[in-house]
Amino acid sequence: MRSSDALEPTKSERRRAEREAANETGVWYPKGYWKRFATPGTLWMVLFFVVPFYVIVSVAFGTVDPVFRSPLPVYQPWWWSFDAAAEAVGKIFGPFRQSYIRTFVFVVLASSMCLVLGYAVAYYVSRFGGRRRTLFLVLLISPFWISYLMRMLAWRSLLTNDGYVNDFLSFMHLPAVGWLEGEPVTVVLGLVYGYIPYMILPLYGFLDRIDSALLEAGRDLGASPSQTFWKVTLPLSKPAIAAALVIVSLPMFGDYYTNNMLSNSPRTVMIGNILDDAVNTSGQGPEAAVFTLVLMTMLLIPMLYYLRSTARELARR
Amino acid sequence: MAHPHERRSGGGLDRREFLLRSLGAAVALPSASAILAACAKPGEGGTGSAGAVGTGGVDLGGPYPIPTADSPVTWTIYDDVPPIADGLKVEEGATLQIYNWDQYIWKKQVEKFCEKHGADYKITTFQNMDEALTKIRTGELKFDIFFPTSDTFGKLISSKLLQPLNHSYIPHLEENVWPQLVNPYYDQGSLYSVPYAVYTTGIAYRRNVISDEQIYGMSNPYDILWDPAHKGRSGVYDSYRDTMSMSLLHLGNENVNTDKQEDIDAVEADLLDLIDKVDVRYSINGAYKLLPENQYDVHLSWSGDIAAGWFYVSKDTAYEDLGYWFPEDRRGMIGNDTMAIPTNAEHPVLAHEFLNFMLSFPAAMDNFAWVGYQPPQNEAQPSTLTTTESVWGEPYIWPWMEAAVVRKEDFERGLPQWELTPDVDDMWHDAWQNFRAGAK
Repeated sequence: MRSSDALEPTKSERRRAEREAANETGVWYPKGYWKRFATPGTLWMVLFFVVPFYVIVSVAFGTVDPVFRSPLPVYQPWWWSFDAAAEAVGKIFGPFRQSYIRTFVFVVLASSMCLVLGYAVAYYVSRFGGRRRTLFLVLLISPFWISYLMRMLAWRSLLTNDGYVNDFLSFMHLPAVGWLEGEPVTVVLGLVYGYIPYMILPLYGFLDRIDSALLEAGRDLGASPSQTFWKVTLPLSKPAIAAALVIVSLPMFGDYYTNNMLSNSPRTVMIGNILDDAVNTSGQGPEAAVFTLVLMTMLLIPMLYYLRSTARELARR
Repeated sequence: MAHPHERRSGGGLDRREFLLRSLGAAVALPSASAILAACAKPGEGGTGSAGAVGTGGVDLGGPYPIPTADSPVTWTIYDDVPPIADGLKVEEGATLQIYNWDQYIWKKQVEKFCEKHGADYKITTFQNMDEALTKIRTGELKFDIFFPTSDTFGKLISSKLLQPLNHSYIPHLEENVWPQLVNPYYDQGSLYSVPYAVYTTGIAYRRNVISDEQIYGMSNPYDILWDPAHKGRSGVYDSYRDTMSMSLLHLGNENVNTDKQEDIDAVEADLLDLIDKVDVRYSINGAYKLLPENQYDVHLSWSGDIAAGWFYVSKDTAYEDLGYWFPEDRRGMIGNDTMAIPTNAEHPVLAHEFLNFMLSFPAAMDNFAWVGYQPPQNEAQPSTLTTTESVWGEPYIWPWMEAAVVRKEDFERGLPQWELTPDVDDMWHDAWQNFRAGAK
């Protein structure tokens, strides 16, 4: 005789309930079945994110070898020193402020251009691609077949003073441009060129799934084609735009090779270049790690905004 | 210290440059053993007194004395790291392990040597000295030959990473090498190293844009880099020591190893001025590759870079378009590289033979023709280098850039760059990074 009979089901009762539930869905899953699917992802995150992240933190608050000046991580938080962190943060608000602001400007400009161009392309392919849609998609993905660096090197030879771009300009009786002479516009266009496929693909994936019945309904209710676009298609694609913007802008913030390849001028230095320089300077390992942490923190802001807005979107539905 | 051969990546290999630079970040991460060894707080514990590592030099309280031209250093020979004995036989069936800058030795010479000794060889390359020291220090790779810069000996010898040389295997050192470099300030008596290549740091220019008369006629030719006439076409090395030292010389300060904050402040202002006046760009391949490719009119240049520049000229550039300026009184920056044998070399006898081979006149000169950097050979008379044909059937140095020929007297008049103490080095780096970020 058990006193809690009425409140707690016995083992057999619980099993029966489980079996009944299984009968309803037709499948019976052992306990924790679905959760186990998270194991590979969790392991991956721990091994390749949590551990390296802790190493970066330990380098940032660690020290350097007295003879070789290479970074020496300190893994015990009670021995951490915050000197390098203070110095690095001082530099960010001091001499490097301009570069940080410049990076924001470059990324905002380049992502906006990516959005305008990418949206148009994705829209065209999804709505008017017709039978050639696959071909368009293949063409869009084809730049990925060639390494980013090779593509940038190709641009270098196109953009040199006696390259084809300037040949074309002079053929059109336009003045030649020193594209590679430290022009911010070259770097921004380089970023656009490098990252635009990452904008197009998610946008296409989303626009393609918009139910055409919604658009027809918009037309039936008397909206013009452009009104349908502005009032139906565009609002519907907001989450896709947010996702695509996050996908292109996050790597742009850390980009340093576009600037290295296309400019190499102090006038176009970005956050990534400052970080790269610190990593390659003996004795500055901790500072480089601090720059990395600062960049990560900065990137959390758009990331959190994206998560919040998608969560809101989901809740609204 | 950044260095001439950071640029020796060959034509169009910016990609490799990039990849290797990215790897730098990975190298900075600790190895598993470092993590396990993290029981004590790292970075503490004495490394002994400077006097125990070497005599002479400047003792600034660091773990080893710093060699300067006025205070040369004789490094200690430790009891537990003795040189090899005389008269040993070369190891048989060996694979000679070489650790060098990328593209900084002609493989054909190595092959020739190995053929003679029935050996095989393997060349491993590095992109900068920090990377090289990190790898050497792990001791995981056992190299027979290493190419350290002359400012790294304190680190290497205080950590017992190099073995003393037995000169009985290297007669060519005394016979062939400039006397100034048989007994250099950074390693008195060549106890641990032999010299490899020599270079000066001057200015490369396109002679179709800037005439020899113009630059040599200027009261301060370094001004040419600041000349707005070459806006967007003027470049400096992405190497803090060389570019900042050049700026010191531009400002009339010959102390290219300065430890004074006011000097460094002046340099920073001078370099920022370079951004305002000419939109300067920095690069590591600007002198040997981009200037011959017509992407620069004028660029700070190591003599060996511009000497090899003709390999890279664009279709509308003639060899005659490449010029080099170095102070006519030869009071400019000068430097040299060395070869040494790591302590854990598996084939030390073969390695000694190799040093001797590379110091032989024919091997040194053929290597010069390929690498562009001159060996300090007595027989290579400066006056003949612009007329004698190399293996390519061209002179070693074009007659119109005779200033790129290094002379042995340069090592008496020129200004060497030696190691800076960590504090001073940080001071230089801070100014450099402010310049790189265009900070005002």
